[in-house]
Amino acid sequence: MDAFAKLPEEINHLVSEFSSAPVVGDLTVGLTQYSFWLLVAAVVFAVVIFAFVKKQTLVPKGVFVNGVEYLIEYVENDVAKGVVGTGWRRHFPFLAAIFLFILVNNFIGLIPGMKPGTGAIGCTAALALVTFVYFVYYGCKKHGVLGYIKSLAPQGVMFPMNVFVWVIEVFSLLLRPITLAIRLFCNMFAGHIVMGSFSIMAALFAEPLLEHFSAMNAVGALPSVAWLIILLIIYAVELIVAFVQAYVFTVLAAVYIQIAESDEE
Amino acid sequence: MGVIGYGLGVIGAGLAIGLAAFGATSAMARQPEVQGRAFTVFILASAFTEALGLIGFVVTLIS
Repeated sequence: MDAFAKLPEEINHLVSEFSSAPVVGDLTVGLTQYSFWLLVAAVVFAVVIFAFVKKQTLVPKGVFVNGVEYLIEYVENDVAKGVVGTGWRRHFPFLAAIFLFILVNNFIGLIPGMKPGTGAIGCTAALALVTFVYFVYYGCKKHGVLGYIKSLAPQGVMFPMNVFVWVIEVFSLLLRPITLAIRLFCNMFAGHIVMGSFSIMAALFAEPLLEHFSAMNAVGALPSVAWLIILLIIYAVELIVAFVQAYVFTVLAAVYIQIAESDEE
Repeated sequence: MGVIGYGLGVIGAGLAIGLAAFGATSAMARQPEVQGRAFTVFILASAFTEALGLIGFVVTLIS
């Protein structure tokens, strides 16, 4: 097949397109395509939130106000109240900000031609690092610095095992931001690569038909219909993934905050 | 070679997602009233396991 011969080259081109490349300046000081769309997402986020605050009335009116309110209440009830429990009010702004920011970024990336700001490892690493510093800070505030370090080991374990468990707990604590960052990045990056490869397949199979119309080429172009259908299904899945990943990130942040603040007796 | 490695690695993630779906469906069948909660937990669990498969995918592409 002619189309399959061209495939690896096109996929390599696609992957190189998706790795961060500077548009303005260079990689140290500059704007990559991801940080450009990150800025766009931040502006969209700010516009939506300020419009929401301005339009807010005692009784919510209209689709827009109700929609944003639904999202925020979703975070409040499902994540803040459900996971953090007592003292959720203090952590609610942080959780809502992280959830909405990731959500806006993921959905911006799904519009064809745009890229998700969260599809670059730098962005997700920054988000995960902020979360890490946040929950360690609140853990230290609650227990004191020494108390927090001690509280990592579970109570009621005999002395020599105690130290061993503590080392493992510290290790898993340090792994948390890394897994948070990599999970979000991989989901966004891989999802877009898969969508890109299926659209490339659809284009490659239909190419001979567009160049020269004949019965042979028309039969050869039939698989591209199947690729298009698969592409649409994957797009629908990606819509769910965009939401689920924002939700997972927020829930995990809430779980970590809850663990850091809990007093194990 | 990397593609074969990815195929081997994704076996684990596939088994894990299958197990999560198995648990969710049997929980829903036994107790239909926990359907909403079980579905949320299932989505969360599959997001975790899916991430492992995707890490393999991205590492294969990058290396």
